[in-house]
Amino acid sequence: MLVEASRLPEGAENISLRGFNLHAGPFYRLPDQGTVRRFAFVALEKHMNSVGTVHGGLLMTFADIAMSRTSRLATDAKSCSTVSLSCDFVGAGKLGDLIDIRVHVTRQTRTLVFLSSHMTAGDRVLMSAQGMWKILK
Amino acid sequence: MTTAPEGFTEVRLVDPFELHVGPAFSQGETGTKRYAFQVQAHHCNLRGVMHGGMLMTLADLTLGQAVWDVTDRAHSVTLNMQHQFIKAANEGDWIEVVPELTRRTRAFVFMRGDFTVNGEIVMTTSSVWKLLGQD
Repeated sequence: MLVEASRLPEGAENISLRGFNLHAGPFYRLPDQGTVRRFAFVALEKHMNSVGTVHGGLLMTFADIAMSRTSRLATDAKSCSTVSLSCDFVGAGKLGDLIDIRVHVTRQTRTLVFLSSHMTAGDRVLMSAQGMWKILK
Repeated sequence: MTTAPEGFTEVRLVDPFELHVGPAFSQGETGTKRYAFQVQAHHCNLRGVMHGGMLMTLADLTLGQAVWDVTDRAHSVTLNMQHQFIKAANEGDWIEVVPELTRRTRAFVFMRGDFTVNGEIVMTTSSVWKLLGQD
């Protein structure tokens, strides 16, 4: 078991199996809370920037992975692709933080899913993001 | 391992996450610098196309370098990034961008970029950066 996995909430499932998800991860899916989908990761040395905070690119990657996965789960689509994503960097993540994201489906149409998400480390807000995903048939 | 295209030199990356996903290359002078990045297998997703997270990381890296250049390396933080994913990029593709300064004020820098493969746009990004210590 990975060292950081011991800090994750019970029921965490590793979703970083291949490709860039694996290279950038590991990221985990947490049990749903009602209709809200939850994901988490622990900030490791490789995730950081040179001023000692978690890299913005990694936070956007985590948001993209969590929101893409939620699009698929919500629609039972084989896959979904990101059309647009807007990220507000509200606060900084630190090394060793347990960072989680809660993803909410705003609206779903036949071809699109609109999503918003809220990323936190403990009681600190790190990012709010919203975007839309195309359902691939 | 990717080698530099002709006329480009490797960008000296310092952030651990950028070193983890790099390398990136650049050519030209401050203000009109062109960046290049080759998509490798570990940058792709299950469908074999470049992962959106990697594209956004490349946007943060290149637009961040451009913000650094126009502010003489002042400390700044990313406030917002907006991305539109126009077209897929594939393993082996070279992604290029020439970051464009939209506006600089005392406290903010607005920077955007069109990311292209063979001249076709794959992603457009606009971003807002805050210079630390400036009201």
